[in-house]
Amino acid sequence: MDVDEIDEEEFGFSRNYFLAKELGSSRKKSARKLSEIDLVDEEELRQVAANIEPKHEKEVKHLISSYESSYSNWLFALRCGFALLMYGFGSKKALMEDFATKSLTEYSVVVVNGYLQSINLKQVVITLAELLWDQLKLGRKTPSGSLCKSQQPFNTRSMSYLLTFLDKPDLEVEDCFVCILVHNIDGPGLRDSDSQQCLARIASCSHVRMVASIDHVNAPLLWDKKMVHTQFDWYWCHVPTFAPYKVETKFFPFILAHGGSAQSVKTASIVLQSLTPNAQNVFKVLAEHQLAHPDEEGNWAWFFSGMPTNNLYSTCRERFLVSSQVTLNSHLTEFKDHELIKTKRNSDGQDCLCIPLTNEALQKLIAEII
Amino acid sequence: MYSPNEHPPTDQLAENNLQPFFVLHKASKSSESSAVMSPGKPRKRRLDSSPKVSLNSESMKENLKMEVFPYVWSKIESNIKDVLRSINADVFDEIGRWVCESFNEICSCRGPVDPSKSTLPYPFVQNGGLVKKLFTALVFTKNIETVDDILTFSELGLNLKSRGCYVVNISSLDFSTKNGIGGCLRAFLRQLLMVDIEAADVSLLASWYSDHGKYEKPVVVIIEDMERCSGALLSDFIKMLSEWSVKIPIILIAGVATSTDAPANVLTSRALQYLSTSMFFLKSPAERMDAIIEAVLVKNCAGFSVGHKVATFLRNYFLRQDGTVTSFVRALKMALVQQLSTEPLSFVLKILVDEGDNKRSWYEDLANLPEEVINHAFELPSYRTYSVNRNNHAELNAMSLDQGLSELQRLQELWRSRLMCLHEAGRYHKVALLDLYLEALDPELYNSRLSNHGCDNAKDKSLLSDSDKLFRLQKAEVTNQVIRKIRDLPAAKLSQLLKSWEGLTRGTVEVHEKIMELQSQMVSGDVKSHKAELTDKSNNLQCYNLCNRRHINRHRLNMEKDACTSNDKAMTLAGQTIRDTMQPIECMPFHELICFKDVDNLQSALVGDPRRRIQIDLLNFYKILKCGCCSNSGGTLSPSMHDTSIMYTLAQEHGDLINLHDLFQSFKASISSSEKKGLKKLASPKKRKDNTHSQNNSDACFQARFCSAVMELQITGLLRMPSKRRPDYVQRVAFGV
Repeated sequence: MDVDEIDEEEFGFSRNYFLAKELGSSRKKSARKLSEIDLVDEEELRQVAANIEPKHEKEVKHLISSYESSYSNWLFALRCGFALLMYGFGSKKALMEDFATKSLTEYSVVVVNGYLQSINLKQVVITLAELLWDQLKLGRKTPSGSLCKSQQPFNTRSMSYLLTFLDKPDLEVEDCFVCILVHNIDGPGLRDSDSQQCLARIASCSHVRMVASIDHVNAPLLWDKKMVHTQFDWYWCHVPTFAPYKVETKFFPFILAHGGSAQSVKTASIVLQSLTPNAQNVFKVLAEHQLAHPDEEGNWAWFFSGMPTNNLYSTCRERFLVSSQVTLNSHLTEFKDHELIKTKRNSDGQDCLCIPLTNEALQKLIAEII
Repeated sequence: MYSPNEHPPTDQLAENNLQPFFVLHKASKSSESSAVMSPGKPRKRRLDSSPKVSLNSESMKENLKMEVFPYVWSKIESNIKDVLRSINADVFDEIGRWVCESFNEICSCRGPVDPSKSTLPYPFVQNGGLVKKLFTALVFTKNIETVDDILTFSELGLNLKSRGCYVVNISSLDFSTKNGIGGCLRAFLRQLLMVDIEAADVSLLASWYSDHGKYEKPVVVIIEDMERCSGALLSDFIKMLSEWSVKIPIILIAGVATSTDAPANVLTSRALQYLSTSMFFLKSPAERMDAIIEAVLVKNCAGFSVGHKVATFLRNYFLRQDGTVTSFVRALKMALVQQLSTEPLSFVLKILVDEGDNKRSWYEDLANLPEEVINHAFELPSYRTYSVNRNNHAELNAMSLDQGLSELQRLQELWRSRLMCLHEAGRYHKVALLDLYLEALDPELYNSRLSNHGCDNAKDKSLLSDSDKLFRLQKAEVTNQVIRKIRDLPAAKLSQLLKSWEGLTRGTVEVHEKIMELQSQMVSGDVKSHKAELTDKSNNLQCYNLCNRRHINRHRLNMEKDACTSNDKAMTLAGQTIRDTMQPIECMPFHELICFKDVDNLQSALVGDPRRRIQIDLLNFYKILKCGCCSNSGGTLSPSMHDTSIMYTLAQEHGDLINLHDLFQSFKASISSSEKKGLKKLASPKKRKDNTHSQNNSDACFQARFCSAVMELQITGLLRMPSKRRPDYVQRVAFGV
């Protein structure tokens, strides 16, 4: 690429950015609200979304199967020590698992679903170590002395021990590795720097090969040069599939259902129903107080000063709902954690509690939990 | 567990999708080829020892590739390591000496050792007062990319270990504020004591040292990248070490990327006081790069080479984008992998490596190959052009392939020696080998040189001098510059240059003779001038008349002229030999077998550009999916397009903030434009009830499709979700592809 070209590209980029900024500020911003749309109930939305008829099904299938011709090259790159990084629009989950099932039969494969919220990488490493151990045993009929020594179960070992085991340079069989398939290595559960450092260390082990996928356009920002060049050693594969991200978006909130009052009442009632009757009654006391003090518009608002905690305590004590301040506090913490209530300070400096719902929604909620 | 050939039951699949991780399958059998991959110890096994192996079977091809790769790559890799080691050897020696001196100095101020007090800080000092100086070497890497220096510092560690020091390598990751001082101390103890201790303490180190060290060896702590460490933590660490610096003779070596004031920027002034610093300088990345190019690509240690475009890409990637030698080495490895995967015959590389070790004919290996493979070689474009140009009708068999390959080797050898000659000449003006290498690889330049030469021959020769011809080839700037500057070389340097050329051109008789001739001319010129000087002196003594003075001046002029002519001759010789014999590899027949040229493939595997590519995927999806329905739309939105593509195209029309309501309405309009037409036809009074039902249904459908499309854009990071402050707006992230 020429210098001029690069300059032009950079210029184009900044020009686009400022144009977009300008467009945003100069044109009168549309002030339409989401609530103006007649929103469908979330449950129905999820149901319909699950059954959306995919477009271009035939072409997508054909596209995905066309990548099969690259499998041998990918395998070769893996065996030469690179890690594969799949990117491009569309879910690559099926493609990667198909590749693993068809081409990586000689190696054990662990799949990590990075799109999920929490992933315990230590458990993954333990599994990798166990699989490698099995594979080594399979590779030779009589395990040599050095291998027999580490009979201690892997799950009691430290992370550094496990990584050293996976990285052992002195194992006799060289082309012996286990594969780790990471869907969405840029996913929410793996996005933090500790997880990425850990994954990089796993990928750099001589007996581990990694196949990973990214979907976020800025995913490479997760890695520094040391990780990219010496640990992950990525071999980039551009494989757009246009397959729907069905599994990956399973836990994403629906943008059109978000914030709707129906939604809030529903979640709130689910939370409340899981609590003890006493806790429910404490909430009801607060709700009744709030309904008895509507503001001008009939909505809860920050004008509503809320119910001072002391008042709530005394009312609850009178009704034998709580025996001490400690019990009340534990209920309140539970409410706060689920965003059922908010605290603020009134003009007298007292802590006041209120429920962030409209009066209408609140009435509905009270009716539901009775 | 299910066998890979049958599909897993869907329930299990769905369950697996919600597991954080699961085992897809276990290794089915021990890989047969496992014995093949042993990069450390290449075996001297003949290729294709079984007669008439068929290259058609895929597994055979795979195995061949797998056999060749470790063989060739281990050769290249070890070469690179050697080069880097030798480039650092001088500095390492210097550092080693300095460590010894520092240790002696610490020992000299230490009093008699009392083992019972060895685990307390502050030492037994002989000459009174506390010695808290910490001997520190600042190693300037001249390189902001620490990734290149990881190897350097681990080599330095090994070097110092071999000199009998205890060495600890600590990286900036250990100096993170999250782990605190305990983190780096733990890393410290882990490496020296080989134990993982939760409650790390220096006194443990002190007792270990008094047990093991017997006060005979220093402890060297190497911190690879000082500037990336947390300053406060590093200052504390230094303070702590200095308290123990005599009990445990600790010597610090810190890598510094920027300038001499880096320690002052990172450390507190208090910690700075404890340091007694010395400075050492490593070679710059450009110098290392030149050394690697020379060892691997020019001297061609493993027979593998790259084409002009690939080399240009690698150079630009190094100079403008990445700047690390590590990534260059990685790119080279990738090129080798791709060469082996795309060119079935490239396993001849293995023979080339073998040949370097023990010379033998390739014929035996080639004769074992099936006929179709041999034929494949003769169908390569390079051979076709060659045979058309030469009107060559050689028999297409293993023998002629063998000859072709030997010829390729010979030409490569010539090219190499000419390039090295140029490099020698360029050294006097600090011309980078990389630039010369690129020009030497350029097939266009070579061809234009040849055609120019042809034209000139046809014309009247007297009109153009040789040097003019060189000037005409403006494209070969660096090469021409080097050649031109030979003219300005002083005699001593010229004779030095000729001497090095003599060594480099030993293989080609003709050029070698010319150089020898030039050298002898220069020597005789020297003798003459020496004599002339003597006569000048005697003349000076004898007579002082004007006539004689003129005579002296003429003598001097003649001498200068002689020198000029030998410089000119050297220049002409260089120009001529380059034109005649420096044939780039891409102009040689059969070069496809050992030369990697597919720059696009390499680039896409080396530098994925998700930001750009994912956007292009969305905007030009019909080019990838190759569907008939959308490619005709000519840029306008059609309902048949992929939902997310429609959404992203719509988002392009907005500023940085997109009103969700508007977006939904325009999305709905785009996907329903054709459906509306259909609905109109259906609308009859009887079906009104059904219609409202389907209307509701389609509302839900629009909303669901809208939500999915937004979610997909959210996954790709091209849309940011509404914030609490602006609940009705999503934010655009990327501007322009």
